[in-house]
Amino acid sequence: MNGRTGALAHRRTVVALALLLAALAPGALAQQKSQWSDAVYVPGRWQAGRLVVVRTSNPATDTLALVMRVDYFANAPRWRAEVRRSADGQAFGDPQVLLGNGADVQVVTPLGATPLARHALATDTLVRAAVAVLDANGRLRGAANGRVVERAADGAVGRVVFRRAQRNPSFDEAMLDARNTSAGRQFLARGIASVGDQRSTAVVATAGARGVDRVQTPRGEVAVRPDSLAIRRMEQFRVGAMTLEEFLRQGRLGPYAVRSDSAGGRP
Amino acid sequence: MNRRTSAAAHRRTGIALLAVAVLAGLARPAEAQDWRDRLRRAVRGAAQVVQTLLPISTDKEIEIGRGIAATVAGRYPIAQDEALTTYLNLVGLTVAGEAPRPDITYRFAVLETPDVNAFASPGGYIFLTRGALGLMESEAELAGVLAHEVGHVNRRHVIEGIRKADFMREVRDQAGINGAMLNRAVGAGANVLFSGYSRADEAEADSLGVLYAASAGYDPAGLPTFVSHLRRHAGEGPLAEIFATHEPPEARIQRLQRVIQRESISGGERLADRFAQRVRGGSAPVPVPQPPAAQPAPKKPIQPQAQPPRPIPQPSQPMVKKPGG
Repeated sequence: MNGRTGALAHRRTVVALALLLAALAPGALAQQKSQWSDAVYVPGRWQAGRLVVVRTSNPATDTLALVMRVDYFANAPRWRAEVRRSADGQAFGDPQVLLGNGADVQVVTPLGATPLARHALATDTLVRAAVAVLDANGRLRGAANGRVVERAADGAVGRVVFRRAQRNPSFDEAMLDARNTSAGRQFLARGIASVGDQRSTAVVATAGARGVDRVQTPRGEVAVRPDSLAIRRMEQFRVGAMTLEEFLRQGRLGPYAVRSDSAGGRP
Repeated sequence: MNRRTSAAAHRRTGIALLAVAVLAGLARPAEAQDWRDRLRRAVRGAAQVVQTLLPISTDKEIEIGRGIAATVAGRYPIAQDEALTTYLNLVGLTVAGEAPRPDITYRFAVLETPDVNAFASPGGYIFLTRGALGLMESEAELAGVLAHEVGHVNRRHVIEGIRKADFMREVRDQAGINGAMLNRAVGAGANVLFSGYSRADEAEADSLGVLYAASAGYDPAGLPTFVSHLRRHAGEGPLAEIFATHEPPEARIQRLQRVIQRESISGGERLADRFAQRVRGGSAPVPVPQPPAAQPAPKKPIQPQAQPPRPIPQPSQPMVKKPGG
């Protein structure tokens, strides 16, 4: 009787522990996720759509031109980088999606995945720099936040990276799956679309309510003539992602709020 | 994750309400009908209760929001100043980037009215009046006010009000929010916008306003500083509606101070120079327009941006001393 009770108690303890572990496991896994964005600048400025590079060894230089933005999603050793470059200083181009798994890096397109080593992007300096941000284990090298200055061998500033980490990464694990190649573009980082280029398709509501002609206010009921056209104009108004990025940098806001520099690797 | 959690909570609440309503229906006197009839009626009544708790989808939120926004733009015309609109959108998108709602595209516009107010229509349509801009002295204040409005959208304050309205009991699914029902939803939402949110919703938007602005890198004192401007101009015509629909400034400032202290937020940018440059071309704040008989308020000098961060305004003492006052 006692033995049976003891066995029952033991089973209950095991079940309780298993349940506890099961409950804790998702949290523990979530903690391994990391997500951050790099705004990559080079010393210089954009002039009439062309990049004019300036040579400087001053790490605090403010004469910078935004050339690329990279959004990283990592759950080591797997990671994903969405690389958006600018060709004219006005807007970011379509993203190039890279996936890493600790062993190799693949370029994901709507047609499939190709190893970076066999892709034209393998020789691209900026793409290589974006990949070099992660070590072989898929972990971020260097500072998690702030301004990272990368210098050339001769001490000249090669790149200045403004990095900002997400406090609560909550991306879909499927984003890191190379087998899910056809979905490569379905999982693009949403932040830049909603905040920057405003390309969210969910908002293109063409029909719907036109408004009401009477409203209650503290001054009593007021007659109004709804203006749907004004709202359409409001929806068509665009602020480019690069304009927003420059606005943030000039105001030392968002990822540009950190003033202290971190030394980065060589470009 | 949040959506799934809230859906599960919604289901649990719905099941609980259904059970309560069924039991309540069964507990009625039995003389009028047999138990099957009573059960049928009870289930029908409970289903109606549960339906009022159905969430309104993001697509419907945007559709309703468009209608409310059109109503706002019908009451006050939208400013056609492209440079000012760009600036407003840049500041707004900066703080909206801190709000975790990627399903919403935020848009910002200035309303041509001397009234001092701001409105957040569901779906991310946010408006600030020319009168409110005229009271501000820094980008941190503008960011604080816009972040407060983003907070209303993020927490779906208007949509939740519509969802709980009696007329929504007739709605069985998302498709039911259409035609006349959609117009009723728009009307109810517009009334919330112009008549005021609940005190709890305002308090939540205030807290979020401070947090979003500070998280974006702005001085967290921006919003309380703007509220202190409202107090300074209390009793003036263009502020009549904002005073009628919001808590007294003293209470708001105290609450905002508590949020800032609780979250240990400090530092951040005021950007008074950039604000003056982009909003007024570098000139001093615009006095609040007065009724014909009243005297215009004296102009105040702009605070130089290089100054150290200002203390959070105290409710017991005015933020800025009025010349001659």
